[in-house]
Amino acid sequence: MIQFWEEHKKKIIAIVAIAIVAIALFAGGKNLNASALESVIGFVVTPFQDLTTGIESWVDSTADSAKDKTSLLEENAQLKEDLAKLQDENKRLEQYENENETLSSLLKISQKYPDYKSTGTKIIAKNPGVWYNTFTINKGTDDAVSANMILIAPGGIVGKILESGATYSKAQSILDSRSAVPAMSIRTGDLGVVKGDYTLMNDGLCKMEYIDGEAQVAVGDEIVTSQLSDVYPEGLSIGKVTKIETDTNGLTKYAIIEPFVDLKHLDTLLVIDKNTLEEAP
Amino acid sequence: MRIIVTTVLVLINFILQTTLFQHLAIQSIFPNTALIIAVSYALLRGSKEGCIVGILTGLLFDVFFGTAMGYYTLLFFAISYFTGRSQKNFYRENYLLPIIFCTMAAGMYETFQFITELILRKDGNILFFIIKILIPTIVYTAVVTVPIYRVLFGLNEWLELKEKYKYRLF
Repeated sequence: MIQFWEEHKKKIIAIVAIAIVAIALFAGGKNLNASALESVIGFVVTPFQDLTTGIESWVDSTADSAKDKTSLLEENAQLKEDLAKLQDENKRLEQYENENETLSSLLKISQKYPDYKSTGTKIIAKNPGVWYNTFTINKGTDDAVSANMILIAPGGIVGKILESGATYSKAQSILDSRSAVPAMSIRTGDLGVVKGDYTLMNDGLCKMEYIDGEAQVAVGDEIVTSQLSDVYPEGLSIGKVTKIETDTNGLTKYAIIEPFVDLKHLDTLLVIDKNTLEEAP
Repeated sequence: MRIIVTTVLVLINFILQTTLFQHLAIQSIFPNTALIIAVSYALLRGSKEGCIVGILTGLLFDVFFGTAMGYYTLLFFAISYFTGRSQKNFYRENYLLPIIFCTMAAGMYETFQFITELILRKDGNILFFIIKILIPTIVYTAVVTVPIYRVLFGLNEWLELKEKYKYRLF
């Protein structure tokens, strides 16, 4: 065995390297559900990741519960206040919804912000390293989660699913430099593309590119997904503009976007299925 | 025996690295412990076993976090192969060489990712890369290499002793 290795060292190395490149070329750019091998590895690894994350959150909550009582009481009072405010607002919004329904049925237009079918999920592992921002969640094709579904958290969009195995899925957040979300400013309707950037990723920010040079986008504007995407449904909020610069070519602008969701400290998410929109009447 | 221990080690490291070690990151930087293990293996056991550990780790990275199959596999494979080639020329008990090799490997790993980013997305900011990514990673890697190499060294000694008994080599 060792002799064989020594004799054919160069050949073996070359063959293995070529095989890896070939696999990469054949499987390149795929956006499908996981293959059998990947599912098997996922089946072995994800339960342990789930367990480790579970232990972590247990330690966290135990440490939190040991916090002193007065601060908890204060927090409780604050939360009650918030709750009352939100309940009030919720009632008002319900009325708006009813009104909206009646008006749109009168006008015979379809709902712009329909209820999507959603599934709750948890992040169980994150990509180590500073370059990319992908993570693993604990729902897969067994729970009707599949590639190209959208992840949201209270407040706005988080990312999309790249690939699903039976019990896990691989997801990409909007901070990843490979991600691109067609977007628009809700106030002025100017279009652009929200991309990740590794220089901004660690601050939890992203970049909106290809904005027209004469666009009237201003700091503080809300950015939502536009109707130009196949993957992302229209009208999901992304974040707000914190800075606007003109590109070096002078024709287009770019804006720095601060997402509404704190993408650095996420654990629970919702997966929404865009296709349920088409099925709904 | 060695195969089982190695596989379990790689899997445990992968699980810890993707969950627990994320909390130990300083400024989002934490050394790639999987890379340290692959390089240490290559130094302790030669390029063949180093390559196998490298491919195994790279495959795990590809399956869970890559968008195209094979990128991390090739990167880990190449790095552990080139480190493994120098295995015969130094004393394994020495700590300085593993530290130098691991920091070099970590630097190479980050540089390759930077070059990929630069070529595929024209998204290069070399000052940011050197100051915010390369130097902190190298420093942090040098610190973390020592305990990991110590554990692997001990494990390797123990396994070699077992193998000696098994094959009656003395």
